[in-house]
Amino acid sequence: MFPFTKYLKLSAIAVSSLTLCAHGAQAPQHIDIKQLSKTVEDVVVPLPNEIFGALNKLGAVNWKEHVRSDKGTNFTERPRIALLLGAVIADGFVAVQAEDAPAVKDIGQRVLALAKGIGVGNSITPHAKAIIEAADKRNWEGVRQELDRTQTSVQQAMNEVHDEKLSQLVSLGGWLRGTEVLTSVVTKHFSADGAELLHQPDLLSYFQTRLQAMPEFKLPIIREIEDALVQVKPLIDVGSARIPPESVKKINEITTRLGYGIVTRD
Amino acid sequence: MLMNAFVKVFLRGSSLLVALLALQSAVFASVDDAQSFALQAAEPYVKEGFQVREDYWGGDLGAGEKKAVRQQLFKGNEYWFWLGTEVERAKISVHIYDSDGKLAEQSDGWQKGHFAAAHVIPKSTGSYFIIVSVEESPEERTHWALVYGFR
Repeated sequence: MFPFTKYLKLSAIAVSSLTLCAHGAQAPQHIDIKQLSKTVEDVVVPLPNEIFGALNKLGAVNWKEHVRSDKGTNFTERPRIALLLGAVIADGFVAVQAEDAPAVKDIGQRVLALAKGIGVGNSITPHAKAIIEAADKRNWEGVRQELDRTQTSVQQAMNEVHDEKLSQLVSLGGWLRGTEVLTSVVTKHFSADGAELLHQPDLLSYFQTRLQAMPEFKLPIIREIEDALVQVKPLIDVGSARIPPESVKKINEITTRLGYGIVTRD
Repeated sequence: MLMNAFVKVFLRGSSLLVALLALQSAVFASVDDAQSFALQAAEPYVKEGFQVREDYWGGDLGAGEKKAVRQQLFKGNEYWFWLGTEVERAKISVHIYDSDGKLAEQSDGWQKGHFAAAHVIPKSTGSYFIIVSVEESPEERTHWALVYGFR
């Protein structure tokens, strides 16, 4: 994958003209989802800032109180590093929301150290540098973009060396940290729309399936997460019903416990 | 004698390896090209405040074939999905359905040659299906790439 900025520089093709002659294509009003089962690709895991953006629209959030200074222990086990890396990248998105430049710079350094620990430091060095530079200039959009690139580059580098499982743990670490922050915000200022952002049953099933395929990772934290997802599933898989405040609080307790487990040694 | 046999085997093996590498590079180059077109389609929307994800989906389809991509969308956000292919005379499309299979997109989606785009403002948070399709193509297999952005 190429960085997006490369394409911004490609001005020769006047794509903007396409929108001028845009037209809506005919599409059936309804399709049979069951027939798609064999052709459906895996879900793409949303970045925390996708959820935070939706949360922001529901009302002002004091992001500063969610910035985390403890960036975790130095682990040697690669699955643990992968989980922590995902969580730290998610912390980066929180720090961007809070516009906390020192925290973003610390996170940039931490991401690089973790990426080195997992053997993908080379592909992350330019992104870590760009994160720190953008934070210095308080270019929050630039930081956001680099955090996205960091996660994609880490995962791409892992996939290239067939470490897909570690790549999935990076996503999982980020999702858990994002969910911890989301539930913390919604618990403090409950709204039905805020709670609805937790309605992610397919994503949760996706992570459950992936964890079940990792029996070789005999780490307590992995099994703890697996058990916790079983508890979370009925709380968010509510169909068209609303997710009540007590469910949000329960999910927050679970994800906070897991978050602590991810950053600290067993 | 033994040395000659070794050299022959080595040369044959090397040629095969080079051919395989060239083929692999051609395949990836095409998906990357498709992605570059998808990103070009996204370019004007960045100025409107859309954050374009670095992650993307890609693959190849025959004419008339479809692929569904499942995506978690959040109520409150607005999304555009952009589809691209490097095959100039191909006609491709992208449409968005909710988890019940109901068309969920806005009416301002567009399709033009090897670009297509669909726009959705989710009415609820949950899983959606993004259906990509190669409607017509002069190629047996047509590479495609799908990117998305949100604001």
